[in-house]
Amino acid sequence: MNLIRRCCLILCLVALGVSISAVAHGQAAAPVAAPTTAAAPPSAAELKDAAAKAPTTDQLKAGDPGGSITGTINDVAPSDPKVGLTSGDVANQVGQNKLGINFTWTLVCGFLVMFMQAGFAMVESGLCRVKNANHTYMMNFFVYGCGLLAYWLIGFAIQMGGAAGNSNLGGLQPLSSEHPLTLFGKTWGIFGGSGMFLTGHTYDVGVMVIFLFQMVFMDTALTIVTGACAERWKFLTFSVSSVLMGAFTYPIFANWAWGAGWLSQLGSNVGLGHGYADFAGSGVVHSVGGVTALAVALIVGPRIGKYNRDGSSNPIIGHDISAVLIGCFILAFGWFGFNPGSTLGASANGNLRIGSVAVNTMLAGCTGTFGALLYMWALKGKPDASMSGNGLLAGLVAITAPSGFVNPVNSCIIGLIAGVLVCLSCSFVENVLKVDDPVGAISVHGANGLWGVLSVGLFADGTSNYGGSWNGVTGSVTGLFYGDASQLAAQLVGISTLLGFVFTFSFLLNWMLEIFVGHRVSAETEMAGLDIPEMGQLGYPEFVFRAEPETMTAAHAMAVA
Amino acid sequence: MAATTGQGRGFTTFLVGLTLACVGIAYFSSGFGKPVFAIGLIIFVISLFGFLKIKPLEGKPAMNASPAVMKALGAFLAAFGWVITLFGMHVTDGTTGRIVLALVGIAVSLIGMIFVLPTAFNKNAIWKA
Repeated sequence: MNLIRRCCLILCLVALGVSISAVAHGQAAAPVAAPTTAAAPPSAAELKDAAAKAPTTDQLKAGDPGGSITGTINDVAPSDPKVGLTSGDVANQVGQNKLGINFTWTLVCGFLVMFMQAGFAMVESGLCRVKNANHTYMMNFFVYGCGLLAYWLIGFAIQMGGAAGNSNLGGLQPLSSEHPLTLFGKTWGIFGGSGMFLTGHTYDVGVMVIFLFQMVFMDTALTIVTGACAERWKFLTFSVSSVLMGAFTYPIFANWAWGAGWLSQLGSNVGLGHGYADFAGSGVVHSVGGVTALAVALIVGPRIGKYNRDGSSNPIIGHDISAVLIGCFILAFGWFGFNPGSTLGASANGNLRIGSVAVNTMLAGCTGTFGALLYMWALKGKPDASMSGNGLLAGLVAITAPSGFVNPVNSCIIGLIAGVLVCLSCSFVENVLKVDDPVGAISVHGANGLWGVLSVGLFADGTSNYGGSWNGVTGSVTGLFYGDASQLAAQLVGISTLLGFVFTFSFLLNWMLEIFVGHRVSAETEMAGLDIPEMGQLGYPEFVFRAEPETMTAAHAMAVA
Repeated sequence: MAATTGQGRGFTTFLVGLTLACVGIAYFSSGFGKPVFAIGLIIFVISLFGFLKIKPLEGKPAMNASPAVMKALGAFLAAFGWVITLFGMHVTDGTTGRIVLALVGIAVSLIGMIFVLPTAFNKNAIWKA
């Protein structure tokens, strides 16, 4: 009966999605305006005239409450004061302004993404028991340092060392050493080489901006793993594992997708659409974090008391649902840096689509929440708070890759499916795989990251225009539903790489750490809570701990025996 | 026993080794790059064996050993699926063929990831005892 009810609900949601999709297809593309003829550069006489009309010092001394006389030709400095202002000076100032806007945009968005660490910390810690609060917060705190150090040492060079050519940030020419591999008569990028320690020619203003932005993305991927392994991961092994992930696992895949690597060349080399397209990182960030979380959670094993002898699972309730929901809001806020910031600019090259990207982001988060909340309410009887929060995050994760390529209606469909998918996936991971994931990180980031990558190949509507091409292929990224099946093929190759390469690499790396370091704390430490044994102090010293339920103490006895 | 000074020293050694190895790579073409890389690598390996030495002191975790061959098989299948996808791009020029082969590759990877590996890890799971 439950199964029938579940099927009916899913069918209803799919029907809703299909009907919305029909509306999406009905949206006619706006006619493209004919380009206007470029105006001739200002003559010396015109510049002189403009300078003469500019407000005087006396006028400026009087103040400018309306903002109409501040910012004039007087604020453009001539390169040679003896010659005066030339059209070349004006053009240079225009270029500086463009890059100034893009630098500022990218940096501010990077700051927002950095703040997402606080959201992750609150969500993960809130979903854990109070006796592990300090440990969980500390993992989320220290992962920032581990990732940043590793990325500065070598990760950034591997990822972006060959990523020159982005005109939004001035070309990034110092990053021009991608190591290629020639295979089947084609040249494929494998890893970058410039940028270790940000010294030498990479001591460059544009490189610094892209380093900061990419670093906070990398750190987001790292912090996903801490959630899946919370409440039993040894702090030492977490630290070593995070450093290695920031140095190698993440940068390798990110190079292939974003750093002129072979996935981005699938379009230009073998004609698969525009190559693997992942606008802001459903695959690069979230799936990499999610599949690594699965690999480590398999190795570290379920918490004591999570499963009974017959394989059924026990719910282990988190200690602070308010922290979880506030954390979700912080994450949703940070996502406005994550997705719109991935244009790497707000001026020129089609970057005015940032508004569309931001709206897509908020809509998918909204429908993701609805998908999860309605699923839980209709099938389990309560609008579950933690699953609703996960629905919001699932929608945001799923829209991350397609946010720059799809329209608002399709964003709603992608988010809605993500909201339902996260509920199904959480149940599958817990009850079928018997992998203990305290916060649902594998489902939120892994499953929905893959869904986001796939949805680019389905829903990209071919209206985006980021400088007229993507991954070196002219035109807009277009998915199967809008006429380009080859883009779907490119996305599937990306998914296969995430599962086949990233998962295996992470698994083997962490298996090695299991041999040398050991991932899991002792059974005594786990039962006592990790705060005192691992961190030396309780997260909440004035809390009165409740006794563990009998299932836990019995399981502990089994574990120690 | 949980976090200890031994762990802290080991992690410091690990970071020093990694940093020196990276300095060596960054300046590999210069005179001092290669020896610095070698020193870093040695310190890195020493830190791993340091971890191995203190591991038994940290208490018994609530987990049993699981079959290594099955785990290796799971990892192999996951990677093999990717290989199928990669070669699928070159054995056919048609989009449909490439999509089909990519899906086959994904399916093989998933068998390794969500069937073989969980079976291996759950075979001797502590909760079954």
